[in-house]
Amino acid sequence: MNNFTLRALVTGIALASLAATATAADPIKIGISGPYTGGSSPMGLSMRDGAKLAVAEINKAGGVLGRQLQMVERDDEAKNERGVQITQELINKEHVVATLGYANTGVALASTRFYQEAKIPVIDNIATGSAVTRQFLPPEFADNYVFRNAAFDGIQAQMIVEEAVTRRKFAKVAILADSTNYGELGKADLEKALAAKNVKAVAVEKFNIKDVDMTAQLLKAKEAGAQAILTYAIGPELAQIANGMKKLGWKVPMIGSWTLSMGNFIDNAGAESEGARMPQTFIQEPNTPKRKAFIEAYLHAYNPANGRIPSPVSAAQGYDSVYILAAAIKQAGNTEGPKIRAALENLSEKVDGVVTVYDHPFTHDNHEAITSNIPVIGEVKGGHVQYAYEEERKNPLRLEKH
Amino acid sequence: MAILLQLLMSGIALGMIYAVIAFGYQSTFATSGTLNFGQGEALMLGALVGLSLAGTVSGGPYLNYWLMLPPVLLFGALQGVVVERIAVRPAIKTKSEFGWIMSTIALGIIFRNVAENIWGRDDLPFPSPLPTDPIHIFGASVLPMELLVVVGALVMMLGVEFFNRRTIYGKAVVATSTDRDAAGLMGINTSMVITFSYALSSMTAAFAGVLIAPVTLTGASMGAVLGLKAFAVAIIGGLNSGLGVVVGGILLGVAETTTGFYVSTGYKDVPGLILLLLVLSVKPSGLFGKTTIKKV
Repeated sequence: MNNFTLRALVTGIALASLAATATAADPIKIGISGPYTGGSSPMGLSMRDGAKLAVAEINKAGGVLGRQLQMVERDDEAKNERGVQITQELINKEHVVATLGYANTGVALASTRFYQEAKIPVIDNIATGSAVTRQFLPPEFADNYVFRNAAFDGIQAQMIVEEAVTRRKFAKVAILADSTNYGELGKADLEKALAAKNVKAVAVEKFNIKDVDMTAQLLKAKEAGAQAILTYAIGPELAQIANGMKKLGWKVPMIGSWTLSMGNFIDNAGAESEGARMPQTFIQEPNTPKRKAFIEAYLHAYNPANGRIPSPVSAAQGYDSVYILAAAIKQAGNTEGPKIRAALENLSEKVDGVVTVYDHPFTHDNHEAITSNIPVIGEVKGGHVQYAYEEERKNPLRLEKH
Repeated sequence: MAILLQLLMSGIALGMIYAVIAFGYQSTFATSGTLNFGQGEALMLGALVGLSLAGTVSGGPYLNYWLMLPPVLLFGALQGVVVERIAVRPAIKTKSEFGWIMSTIALGIIFRNVAENIWGRDDLPFPSPLPTDPIHIFGASVLPMELLVVVGALVMMLGVEFFNRRTIYGKAVVATSTDRDAAGLMGINTSMVITFSYALSSMTAAFAGVLIAPVTLTGASMGAVLGLKAFAVAIIGGLNSGLGVVVGGILLGVAETTTGFYVSTGYKDVPGLILLLLVLSVKPSGLFGKTTIKKV
């Protein structure tokens, strides 16, 4: 190939890619990054499938700004480095308008930096580490591009402690958390929430992902006289804790972060998962018309085993986040990152979602859509997560309080 | 006292899990001086094939737990033959010192990817053939399945030992481990013996897989951590001592549970690794290993 044809080819490719980004009727690309494989996969898959439902509904109704939405799905495998790779691909190769996703705090912390730099809004709709939305706060950064539609750990830790110490009057509690970013940060939040009630955990133990024996951790909690175990971990290891308690012939209630609702905890712990309680923004219970329609659509489209959404919280938050983003793009009038961010921070349209009715979910300084009054306490009953308290089931509509 | 007993028993149960896997490293090292670094994957494949036969994941159960064992063992043996033919034999033939390390690791990764595609990447529960209620001994609790792991591991090792000492084929294996060249001159088909040792090695790994699956969880990534810990056990105990892996396994298992309880659960893996470093610097052939003199 001589020099001239090479140059022509390069110019041609450059022109072609320029043309591809400029056409108005092109679909609006939205990145979806989540773990679709591995121990966190129930969250990632449910989130993706929930988002897919919303995208299909919006496209059927004519799309946004006359353009169709297109999801670009990537599996981050719950690995920080993989998340970064995908992020760069989504930004530089796919030219996404915004990205939704992240089930893992570590991945979210590692990846969102690139969106911040590229001025592309990103909505974290599962990962709950308190730090995720707080990496780029003013005044150091003029604008923060990281939003969240999930109950962050600060809220969850408070709810867990409220449930254990105030409602159920356990004076002695032990904390068991895994050694990932998620577990470590959650543990710190739990200790802080306990300190606010003048309670100190009688034992604080950790374990690694894939540990097969929890004897030492559980024995320490048992010997310290713990009346309940507060957990911060993901499905498989939570199941090892529940099964380990059975082995030791010791059963105290498990109260922990929302991951206790994951299908791979309930399936692997079987009968031992019964009674575990956790904060939930959404429970698979059709107690509002919107929720009924969403649950029916999800079950119809994906037909999950036992009629159970693998992670109902993730599915609902994933679904809602697409509608929030669509409303923001509509308000912005185009797909420029800074405009969408500004629209998200001052959303005039009320978004009627599955979790709640989002009325001005974000402001310039507050990027958390879920406020502390929204989550309810769920309980594993008969292999399904259900409302632990009847009065919470009967009052489904909990509006945001900023 | 009951606590110490509980820690010891859990440590022994955990240690025997490591020991069965470590045992697989030995059988190939003895005959060919090579190791299968995909041992953890052989274990994982055995467990998942067992789960397909005895569990509900592939539309089963087709067989009960005990009837599922022979096909799993056969599968393990065949898998071992594949590993030897593809990854090890070419390296031995070309007298490559390290080729087999890379190729067994590579094959292990391929096996894991295949398993992820067939069974998915999620952890699955394995139906327990024994009651899941714990038995209480002197105030400490132990699962019947954990006892089965200990008994199964011992039976398997004794079985292999019996085979080596009492059968003509076993003697061929021993002769090959003692001196491969001399054994070849005596008319023993040594490359056949090496293939056989790989079959045996993966067979024990597959057996270990179905043995431990009911107490751990089953999934494509179950072998990675266990395979690594078992490797440490094989080094601590000595790569040519059957007793060594049992003692090494129990040492590591008990070190993990007791450190977890008495020191901190954040440090529970440290003493085992310190032990590994100590053994390597003081007695590199392992606690029970015979020092081999390499004549050059």
